[in-house]
Amino acid sequence: MIQWLTATDHKKIGIMYMISTFFFFVVAGLLALVIRTQLAAPNLDIVSSHTYSQVFTLHGTAMIFLFVAPFGLGLANYLVPLQIGAPDMAFPRLNATSLWLFIFGAFTVLSGALVAGGAAASGWSSYAPLSEIKVSAGAGQDLWIIGLLMVSIGSILTAVNLMTTIFLLRAPGMTMWRMPIFTWEIVATSLLILMAFPPLASVLAMLLIDRHLGGHFFDPSQGGNVVLYQHLWWFFGHPEVYIMILPYFGIITEVVAVFSRKPVFGYVELVLAAFAIAGLSMGVWAHHMFTTGAVNDAFFSATSFLIAVPTGVKFFNWIGTMWKGSIELTTPMLFALGFMLNFLIGGITGVMLASPPIDFDAHNSYFLVAHFHYVLGGGSLFAIFAGVFFWFPKVFGVQLSERLGKWFFWLFFLGFNLTFFPMHIMGLEGMPRRVVTYPNVEHLALLNGLATAGAFVIALAVVLFGFIVLLAFRKRVPAPDDPWGGYTLEWATSSPPPEFNFHSLPNISSERPVFDARQAARRAAEGVA
Amino acid sequence: MKTFVALFLSSAAFGIAIAVVYNITSHELAGTFLLGIMASALVFAASYAILAERDADLDGDRKDERVGEAAGEDLGIFTTSSVWPILMAFSVLIFLIGAVWVPFLLFAGLAAMLLILWRLGAESNRTGGRGIT
Repeated sequence: MIQWLTATDHKKIGIMYMISTFFFFVVAGLLALVIRTQLAAPNLDIVSSHTYSQVFTLHGTAMIFLFVAPFGLGLANYLVPLQIGAPDMAFPRLNATSLWLFIFGAFTVLSGALVAGGAAASGWSSYAPLSEIKVSAGAGQDLWIIGLLMVSIGSILTAVNLMTTIFLLRAPGMTMWRMPIFTWEIVATSLLILMAFPPLASVLAMLLIDRHLGGHFFDPSQGGNVVLYQHLWWFFGHPEVYIMILPYFGIITEVVAVFSRKPVFGYVELVLAAFAIAGLSMGVWAHHMFTTGAVNDAFFSATSFLIAVPTGVKFFNWIGTMWKGSIELTTPMLFALGFMLNFLIGGITGVMLASPPIDFDAHNSYFLVAHFHYVLGGGSLFAIFAGVFFWFPKVFGVQLSERLGKWFFWLFFLGFNLTFFPMHIMGLEGMPRRVVTYPNVEHLALLNGLATAGAFVIALAVVLFGFIVLLAFRKRVPAPDDPWGGYTLEWATSSPPPEFNFHSLPNISSERPVFDARQAARRAAEGVA
Repeated sequence: MKTFVALFLSSAAFGIAIAVVYNITSHELAGTFLLGIMASALVFAASYAILAERDADLDGDRKDERVGEAAGEDLGIFTTSSVWPILMAFSVLIFLIGAVWVPFLLFAGLAAMLLILWRLGAESNRTGGRGIT
């Protein structure tokens, strides 16, 4: 136990990040079940409106800040040094500090549920004045702010660490243009974190000052400005969406290439697309603020439309990678294909919402809820499971059941679409989000019933996933060093890797050093070399 | 390192361009200020990258470098355990709780952070590491 609490090895830190984020995923998932149970039928009164507000606030906060975003950083912690042939992260102690800032911060956010007045109840974006002390006087809101401040500081430190590691600790021959796409995506993500998280830390600090130190940043009666809160929040908030998706684009690229038995199609274009997405994402923040009437709709609409272009490039390259490949439908590949389908739906509704006339109509409706769940659930979450099934043998040295994994995929895919697809129609029929109940009009009862049934199918799928993991540790079928025929350096070391990662490294002369080494060995065996 | 420099230079150029375009098209102060700060930070990082690149001589940047040729290169010592990171994170929590509710804890947290920084430095020097990280 002490070994883990004091660990500075990047692999242990990565594992602790990922396990803790999965714990928060389960917490957020249970909260989602409360939401869906309350909305299963019209006019239900299972939880009070105040409790409901706390539940959806903690659900959103936990999913975004405590699961999807930090899981990517946890995986990066584990993989990046392995993929570039480094013995560890550049700053191991700083790395451990980031992890513990995240864990303490996460529990601080959740601890709000235990204090008088309950947890924060002003939504994951906690707009002022709703989050100001006049409206949200409870300590839960303060704990939410303190916790997220710690999480944001930890994320900034992790980004600095990852960038330094990637720039300075690459193995001989591992030039930047030979790095795996996942590592490139982490460079783009780290850059985004460094630009987006300081405004988050600032707005949280300003809110805390308003609440306790006599500040008036967001109090219009004292000359403050509530729209300023929205500017600061979304200057962080939209890049955050890409912080929650770019690492997962990296996972998908790695998985698709390996299971298509082809090199990545359009390596350079994929890298450039990642940076185009990262850059453009810094200029789209106020498309979340169209309905304030206080922003330049044309500018933010244009930049939001533009971001679809590099995203389309990525899709084109994934399809190009699969084209005429020898595709193997393993569990990671199934999740990658599920990702593409779901993310495409989320992306298309995103382009629709980038148009102000549509946004004015659909804003704050369940259409928006469907959109972002298709992006972050159907996209990021599917990619996370693709990554888990892909790298689990490397991380723990044991195999997950492929047969049960495929069952898990289909159950999860079915549950996900059953839950979230009807929400598009709910939104178009006028159901606003964040409401504790709704009248029995239009098809809302049927659609909500379907969504609730879907949520319980997802829960069943997650239970199955837990069972698959437990079974793997119980049966302990040892994983070979390279169970999938991988391309990148992490497959050149043992499963799990030793302390400081490598006993020996292959020569690096392309972006697929392990593939090259395998080919060279084959040629040598055939006497060709 | 050339790619590293190009990355920051192009990001800085993009940051300046988008800040200027936004200001011209929107005449809105909050967004212009945020984009301006972002662009300034990127210019600062790009300037540092240019300076750092002059002295850089990394094996990872050489296309034809074979793994064996760099054998024995000193990368420094990577620590495998330290008690200070978890204590540092806990001190930050105490500091923030103190800032909101109990002023005494604010000073206790701050003192603990300074003490831990000092001990981290000492530990790092003892193990031959680089600074407190």
